[in-house]
Amino acid sequence: MIVALHQLTAALYLAAGLLAGVGLVLARPTLSRAAVAVLVAGAALHGVAFAAFHLATEPPPLTDLPASVSLMAWLGVLFYLSLLMRSRLTALVVGVAPMAFLGAFFAALRLPHSEHAPFVGAASSWPHAHILLASGGLASLAVAFLAGIVFLAEDRRLKAKRPISGRLRLPSLEALDRVNAVALVIGFPLLTLGVLTGMMWVEGMSGRFWTGAAHEIWSMAAWAVYGVLVAARFRAHQGARQAALAAVFGFTFLLFAVIGVGLLT
Amino acid sequence: MRVLVVGMNHRTAPLEVRERFAVQDPAPHLAKLVACEEIDEALLLSTCNRIEVVALTRQLDAARHRLRAFFHRELGGETVQGDTPFEHLLFEYLDGPAMRQVFRVAASLDSMVVGEPQILGQMKHAYRAAFECGACGPILSRLFQSAFAAAKRVRRETRIGERPVSVARVAVDLAKQIFESFEDKTALLVGAGEMIETALEALRAEGLRSILIANRTQSHAETLAQRFGATARPLGELRELVPRADIVLTCTAGESPVLGVAEFVEAIRTRHGRPVFVIDLGVPRNVDPAVNRLDGVYLYDIDDLAGVAASNADERRRETMLAEAIVLEEQQRFDGWLLALQAVPTIRNLRTRAEAIRLGELQRVLKRLNLDEAQRRGVESLTRSIVNKLLHAPVSRLRAEAEREEGLAYLEAARVLFALDQPEGSDAEAAGPAALDDVLPADVPDSEDSEDV
Repeated sequence: MIVALHQLTAALYLAAGLLAGVGLVLARPTLSRAAVAVLVAGAALHGVAFAAFHLATEPPPLTDLPASVSLMAWLGVLFYLSLLMRSRLTALVVGVAPMAFLGAFFAALRLPHSEHAPFVGAASSWPHAHILLASGGLASLAVAFLAGIVFLAEDRRLKAKRPISGRLRLPSLEALDRVNAVALVIGFPLLTLGVLTGMMWVEGMSGRFWTGAAHEIWSMAAWAVYGVLVAARFRAHQGARQAALAAVFGFTFLLFAVIGVGLLT
Repeated sequence: MRVLVVGMNHRTAPLEVRERFAVQDPAPHLAKLVACEEIDEALLLSTCNRIEVVALTRQLDAARHRLRAFFHRELGGETVQGDTPFEHLLFEYLDGPAMRQVFRVAASLDSMVVGEPQILGQMKHAYRAAFECGACGPILSRLFQSAFAAAKRVRRETRIGERPVSVARVAVDLAKQIFESFEDKTALLVGAGEMIETALEALRAEGLRSILIANRTQSHAETLAQRFGATARPLGELRELVPRADIVLTCTAGESPVLGVAEFVEAIRTRHGRPVFVIDLGVPRNVDPAVNRLDGVYLYDIDDLAGVAASNADERRRETMLAEAIVLEEQQRFDGWLLALQAVPTIRNLRTRAEAIRLGELQRVLKRLNLDEAQRRGVESLTRSIVNKLLHAPVSRLRAEAEREEGLAYLEAARVLFALDQPEGSDAEAAGPAALDDVLPADVPDSEDSEDV
């Protein structure tokens, strides 16, 4: 049931991504709007999948990588949809939908194992708090990453004086920069709380806040990198282009630290 | 029934002439026109680029004179002076070209800026005014509704109106790619010429409110500032003004640039990295081109803007061909409807003639036979059935063929074969005309359904 819901969700996200891609290539905003509608349907189904997950195994084993990746994808979509209500960001669906598809698809492939996996630290609430907060942080920073990529492409195009198709309305540089700022304001505190709750979780299992595991070292390094980026953005009044570059670099590093290191070790 | 269009537009008459003919309220003029015997239906379209009367007439020459006289006397053509004779300021289209003109105007293919969207609204307004004062009957209604439908198709299926083709609109379009909105933005204008004014109007139309104007001649800056609710500042303060501006628009005379890299480096630092859009309309350029290399500064000079405008115009031209094909298709559909309408009198005459013969023969026979009421009804029903079945095939064929150009030959043949043009007897008159619904082609939709006006 949970796997089937994830498969359906992934299919909807994929459909949204394809619609958005075709809409971008053909410069058809109606297709981009349709992609957003399909993305909303996917997010609703994703929510149902998590509700089913919760009912099936209480508390749900979110600490497993597939479940946490799925949660991150879902929160990312929700974060994007909330931003969409305030700014002209429809075209960004072309990046959000494929990213959400990858998350949901990965979960759909790997979840059968996790449903039967032993839940580490089930007695404590720290693991759940850690996963929820860290996923929320990662999701918002993922949206900042996408906005950063579009910003850099748009900046390059405007500097090179290359016109775009009139019907195609890409987000303005101002809107993309605002996404970056909002994502950092929300994402960094969530990430910080995620690191702290992670330490509490480790302490609950090993009696120490810091065991020196590779995952911990890289996560801490990623958090420190984001700390520097936030300071550069809000204290040193970094320009929008540098902020976009930083968002792309920061998220790539974070993704490697949180997921890549986990997969490699 | 002929369709006639007489008028003047941006190609036939200059603005100073057109503005003298502009009509605010077309209703009284239309009432006068349709009161004339030679004008059956009429519509008056008056915009800044055209004043046109579309008329439906059965007396072409008289209608033509009436419309020319209308422009000459009613709208003030008598007062027009100049080298060009008044008659040469007017254009005239008849039937096919006239209908085509209506379709092309609605689709914005005849506009000064091809693809501009305002004309459709203006035409709908003119149609509503004509309809409400009773000047627009079923045929012109159908013509305009078909033209509106064609215009909607053009807008939906082509990209004709999407990309701006004027330098000012291109600048605004680019600004929209940088800024989300203009309400909270400030523009700095360096210069006070016509180019600056045009670009400023376009930016104000998008919601820009905060405007600073710096000019060598302070009085010019103040005049422009007064007109646009802006603030005039001396040119000497330029360095202090640049950091406050999100949009810098320059068009001033001078051999060397008035703004260089140093000013914008300082501005970007003061603005904490917020972007600046610089539009340099000056020749020679007013802003050092190296400024475009700075992060957060987007500089477009007149050539850049003209290049984008030209590329957009090329795309519009390509789309125009597609739009013309759509217009032609929709016009042919309307032509079919109009031709089918010409079959109506012939079919009506045919039915009337047949009914007259049936009634005459029936009365003659009934006088000789001594039939009770039921038998009389039976015979009457029998004769009606025979007539209907006999007429069914020719009437169906006439309806079908009438929608094509060759249909006129069929109509002519029917009139000869059934002797419809010969005087009818009094019995035929007594039968009365067939109902319009019986003779109209079955697939002709109700004209009110096709367009929201």
